Amino acid sequence: MITAELQKGWAKSLLEAAGSAPAPWLEELRSSAGALIDGLPLVNRKQEAWRYTNVEPLLKESFQPVVERPSGYPGEVPEAITPHRLVFVDGWFMPELSDTALLPEEVTCGSLNDAIAAGDERVKNRLGSVADPGEHLFTALNTALVNDGLFLHLPAGVKLESPVELFWLNSGGETPLLAQPRNLVILEPGAEAVLVEHHLPGEGERYLHNGLTEIVLDPGAKLDHYRVQDESEQAWHFSRIVLDQGSDSRYHGITLAFGGHLARTEYNGLFTAEGAHCTLRGLYTVGDDQLQDFHLDVRHDVPHCSSREQFKGLLYGKGRAVFDGRILVAKDAQKSDAELTNDNLLLTRNAEVDTKPQLEIYADDVKASHGTTVGQLEANQVFYLRARGIDEQKAVHMLCEGFAAEIIEHIHLETLREQALARLRQTLGNL
Amino acid sequence: MSTQRELDDLVKAGYEHGFVTEVESETLPPGLNEDTIRFISAKKNEPEWMLEYRLKAYRHWLTLEEPDWAHLQHDPIDYQAISYYSAPKKAGDGPKSLDEVDPELIETYNKLGIPLEEQKALAGVAVDAVFDSVSVATTFREELAKAGVIFCSISEAVHEYPELVKKYLGSVVPHTDNFFACLNAAVFSDGTFVYIPEGVRCPMELSTYFRINEAKTGQFERTLIVADKGAYVSYLEGCTAPMRDENQLHAAVVELIALEDAKIKYSTVQNWYPGDEKGRGGIYNFVTKRGDCRGDRSHISWTQVETGSAITWKYPSCILSGDDSVGEFYSVAVTRGYQQADTGTKMYHIGRNTRSTIVSKGISAAHGQNAYRGLVRMGPKAENARNHTQCDSLLIGDQCGAHTFPYIEVRNPTAKVEHEATTSKISEDQLFYCRQRGLSEEDAVSMIVNGFCKEVFNELPMEFAVEARKLLNITLEGAVG
Amino acid sequence: MLTIKNLHVNVDGKEILRGLDLEIGTGEVHAIMGPNGSGKSTLSYVLAGRDGYEVTEGEVIFAGKNLLEMEPEERAWAGIFLAMQYPVELPGVNNMSFLRESVNAVRRARGEEELDAIAFMKLVRERAELVKLPEKLLKRSVNAGFSGGEKKRNEILQMALLEPKLTILDEIDSGLDIDALRTVAEGVNALRSPERSFLMITHYQRLLDYIEPDHIHVLAHGRIVRSGGKELALELEEKGYGWILEEEAAA
Repeated sequence: MITAELQKGWAKSLLEAAGSAPAPWLEELRSSAGALIDGLPLVNRKQEAWRYTNVEPLLKESFQPVVERPSGYPGEVPEAITPHRLVFVDGWFMPELSDTALLPEEVTCGSLNDAIAAGDERVKNRLGSVADPGEHLFTALNTALVNDGLFLHLPAGVKLESPVELFWLNSGGETPLLAQPRNLVILEPGAEAVLVEHHLPGEGERYLHNGLTEIVLDPGAKLDHYRVQDESEQAWHFSRIVLDQGSDSRYHGITLAFGGHLARTEYNGLFTAEGAHCTLRGLYTVGDDQLQDFHLDVRHDVPHCSSREQFKGLLYGKGRAVFDGRILVAKDAQKSDAELTNDNLLLTRNAEVDTKPQLEIYADDVKASHGTTVGQLEANQVFYLRARGIDEQKAVHMLCEGFAAEIIEHIHLETLREQALARLRQTLGNL
Repeated sequence: MSTQRELDDLVKAGYEHGFVTEVESETLPPGLNEDTIRFISAKKNEPEWMLEYRLKAYRHWLTLEEPDWAHLQHDPIDYQAISYYSAPKKAGDGPKSLDEVDPELIETYNKLGIPLEEQKALAGVAVDAVFDSVSVATTFREELAKAGVIFCSISEAVHEYPELVKKYLGSVVPHTDNFFACLNAAVFSDGTFVYIPEGVRCPMELSTYFRINEAKTGQFERTLIVADKGAYVSYLEGCTAPMRDENQLHAAVVELIALEDAKIKYSTVQNWYPGDEKGRGGIYNFVTKRGDCRGDRSHISWTQVETGSAITWKYPSCILSGDDSVGEFYSVAVTRGYQQADTGTKMYHIGRNTRSTIVSKGISAAHGQNAYRGLVRMGPKAENARNHTQCDSLLIGDQCGAHTFPYIEVRNPTAKVEHEATTSKISEDQLFYCRQRGLSEEDAVSMIVNGFCKEVFNELPMEFAVEARKLLNITLEGAVG
Repeated sequence: MLTIKNLHVNVDGKEILRGLDLEIGTGEVHAIMGPNGSGKSTLSYVLAGRDGYEVTEGEVIFAGKNLLEMEPEERAWAGIFLAMQYPVELPGVNNMSFLRESVNAVRRARGEEELDAIAFMKLVRERAELVKLPEKLLKRSVNAGFSGGEKKRNEILQMALLEPKLTILDEIDSGLDIDALRTVAEGVNALRSPERSFLMITHYQRLLDYIEPDHIHVLAHGRIVRSGGKELALELEEKGYGWILEEEAAA
């Protein structure tokens, strides 16, 4: 059972090891978030957001926060698909492993900690303005321990031709480490970028990644944001992405979740002006000893915005998945258009899924729908393939790939699409 | 678009059943303690085991907190300000032949369209009439007795059929189930008991008509229906109350038990007083309804048309324990004025090849808030179980809300669950099309809304379907411009 | 090529085929006709090996082998092709990849070399032309969102690619207009050869105007109740199935 003592004690031990902040204003932000922790509700079954997700074993683990930039990285850095490569180890930006030389001069792309230390006003103005640290224990913890992460800023009208690619690696070692990057992405009016994130174990096996990303899209800005979560099988992974979308901005987000022991991805979308559009897609695979947990909360607070949420899961072994998606259309947010779907394929006997697609609608002139399915592969589809000479195993793989293709085909980068497909095949090959 | 006048018409569209019957009643002063429970039990001359059951529930209730998870807002309910027992004096102790019943009461039911004299009654429908805390009359008892069907008030059943009551009461909804069910177990005053023996197809529709009359009272009825092996029964429930400024609490419990090959069809037309246009008054309707498909191939079907009450909190559910058992839930819920509804169902698939169907139609108008909340759970042994859920919401006006909160839990890969939900409004195009073909706007709305609800109305017994359609039309009068 | 002896088949515990006998020689074209519910589709699924069809009695020998012991894909490798009445949609599964996977699986099983991407493309284009299947349909998901005619043409394309020994056409004419029917029939006729046999299952005589059978059988109540040449179809067209059923009842 998660008691107040357990939760507070766990957080306290981490906060004590926080280290100093690079600027006084950040110290304030940190301590105000730290002060919230004692008053937060327990992350247990009684809270809707944690109804199906048990983090008790996590709170019984001790972790060492990484409060300084690691001096180096013992492992190899994977190959990038673009010229703009940023490598982070245990949540810290590693300049000597990264390459941002070819980015246009007016673009800021690099360490959040460096930007704060250099007195960057843009960070000071926006950091913490999008994400509510009091959302739950892990968001408060991230804010109370802010050190480093990505700071990406594109001035008005700048359109990046190549994607910016991030590699999140872990250095490993005896004590399980806590990496807890804080990312801030600001696209000024009309700016456009593609961001690709790879969350990889690196040298780590047992660690906790607790990331929080704030994204500000000014009017007309466009961001394609691909995330491949392929953490180690023993890792805990929490990611929260919070969006603040201005008029006519467009966010296109895809998360492919393959790894982790317990991995939770949260998207929180907010439209602040009319005409914005947001698509959130996800593909997850879970096997033995794995839980993939997705939480979406998309708020249509203003009229004439649209959102699409489409998540698909393949479950096998004793894998478990949780999907909790909510679309809220506020009063007067007329002409909102929202569609939420979650489909799950159970490939084996002991896989389990809990799904909860919700609509909260307070305006009448809206289009809103959701659909959910849970089931096995269709017997007649398997038969059709077999009747064409394809053996049963191959038929199952093809159908699973077909199921996943509806997400993967929305990746607009060919190399990444191929990587995703290859990674999926690797998982299917182990079935 | 709607003009102010039309909106005014809407909120004033009358509540037909808002009259008060002038009848002398014996009413317990407000308040709840063990003495209240002893009083109710003594009043009904109950055996000791029944009193013990009530006290056990009451003591447990004291440890519970009122649930707050539903999408509802209301002032706190003061459980000490409610009277827990009220009965018309002339009702006396227990049932009598109809000519002994107070003519005022018979007239009340006549006015509500429920004649109690058998010769005037709807053909093929037997009625148990519950007035505040007591059953005042039960019709067609003799004819039913010939078929072996027991149809009586629950107070009577406690005396006449104690073994059946002991065996089944609380076996589907235990007193520990939830706050309101627990309160009901402690203070329930009357309700209906039905037993259909093995292999019997009940020769007529059974129904209970609930009427709250007295001010400041709560109604806590308890219904228990048992269909033995291969039996069939269709049961209808109707409810109304006078218009009053204060909120009144109704916390009922309904338990259904279907043994092997039995089928129970339970239909409700709920039209408790919904409150006035400002949201004053109205019934708080916190009801626990659950059916247990205990036997293989058993079948329980819930149909509800919810147009009344200031607040509706109810989730008629099915426990599908028997292999090949079937659970169904068909619902139309209308909220207008300041009405709030948080309603839906739970389908627990336990046995193999169990099937469930959920069709929920929510209509929100004016300031109404309408939430569907449902659970579909496929247990590890529910081989080849199937569920299909369709939740549709219709919004009329821009001040109302429609919400969907489904929970889907799957522990068996051979089970298949499909859930769909849509939200829409009556489009200008639809209205224009109908009007261009000569329909008045009101008729067009009524036609479109009835079409929207058709799947549910089709499940109601004929007389009720007609009634439900009429009720829906009255409820939505002038709702759209 | 195919010998069916005294075949009894249950579906959901109900007997659908009740002692069916049929002999199809190499290079022959047979048509099975019969009223709705006579067991026509059951026969096609049993031959292709679909689950849920329980053979309680009888045997099916195909090219010297016991067909009933084989898995569906083994039957496909052996040269049985079922063109389905309602081809299954496979959302997300690319039609071209599916066709290639299928062709190469069959080629592997026959000890032939697999086709590389270029050779395969060439082959598909050529055969697609034959059945007038628009090339854009090759890039879409298998049958997903195809019209009725497009689905049937996709079936015939698969047949043309897999070059089966025995093709079963289950109500290939259902839901097709005359033009589509003609295209489909042309595809089938183009593949007719002394090595290939066909079994057409149909409710209507119309199809037989386009694909001429050598033998016609009438299936009723789970058995072949009458066999004959082309003239039998004309008789059926004229008098319906009633007279045969009556004669059968009288006998």
